[in-house]
Amino acid sequence: MRVVKIASNLMVKNDALAARLRDRFAQNRTLVVNILSSPGSGKTTLLEETLDRLAPKYSVGALVGDQATANDATRLARSGVPVHQITTAAECRLDAEMITQALAKWGEKRFDALFIENVGNLICPAEYDLGEDLRVVLFSVTEGEDKPLKYPLAFNTSNVALVTKIDIAEAVGYDRLLAQRNIQAVNPDVSILELSARTGAGMDEWIKLIDGLIGAKAFAATR
Amino acid sequence: MELHEITIALSLLEGVQSTALEQGIDRVSAVHVRLGALSGVGRDALLFSWDVATAETIAEGSQLCIEEIPLIVFCEHCEGERAPPPGSGLLCPECGTPSPRIVRGREMLLVAMEVPA
Repeated sequence: MRVVKIASNLMVKNDALAARLRDRFAQNRTLVVNILSSPGSGKTTLLEETLDRLAPKYSVGALVGDQATANDATRLARSGVPVHQITTAAECRLDAEMITQALAKWGEKRFDALFIENVGNLICPAEYDLGEDLRVVLFSVTEGEDKPLKYPLAFNTSNVALVTKIDIAEAVGYDRLLAQRNIQAVNPDVSILELSARTGAGMDEWIKLIDGLIGAKAFAATR
Repeated sequence: MELHEITIALSLLEGVQSTALEQGIDRVSAVHVRLGALSGVGRDALLFSWDVATAETIAEGSQLCIEEIPLIVFCEHCEGERAPPPGSGLLCPECGTPSPRIVRGREMLLVAMEVPA
């Protein structure tokens, strides 16, 4: 018997592809937002509202990952913006290769902002860089305030934590301070926004954030 | 069961196969991996996935040896490395300071393989 050393990081391949995507998005001045959450936190509803509000001003697109069905893409396509469904089947997350392949289907189409709705799961997607500028983790008021402690990596690697379904916070006994403390325990630098895509509460602030980032990305690449 | 583990098993196999190809190896009896606590990989599920993934390959019937790496964070307040217990997030277990700098615990490494003589 002999031992053969390998020493390879399983993420090397994905990280290299993600770096290539990041270069390409920088050249195209496309802001890329990767949205992570558990199933049912409201990713699709948030995106529907977000695309509706941004579409009049910007060229926006969405990539939607799901293990099965194209239901989410069908919902998002109603906003009239280009939407592409990535059905991942056995995979519990999107990876940089899937994004690269999906973009190839759009050819040379250029976006001001591209939103990626990851597969509903807080474990695997946290490990995979998709070349995004902004990673957003959604966390609805019904999920239990200790979610950040259970899935620290998803919250640790995100730039923004969006607390969704804030319109029903009182009815479900959401403990705001506890949730904020738990989010900050895994990521003190994260921006926390509360919103309800259904009632529109907090949406202006979220859109303002994205709007500013689209502008910053356009400026950064033209300097 | 999450499908995470089958993906991990297939990536491991891919690494094993490419090294084997480079070095002209046609049989692998064991594979050593290192997995961090935050990688979210279930040990039993990965062992099961490994058997499924390696069927009819050069690694069929091989043993997967998993070394689990506990979570270690750097606490700025204590100025030292600390090991938060599972489920407590990234808080320093000594002083309670949020410690988002992860020192160890994110590993997903293919370390080595054993080849029969």
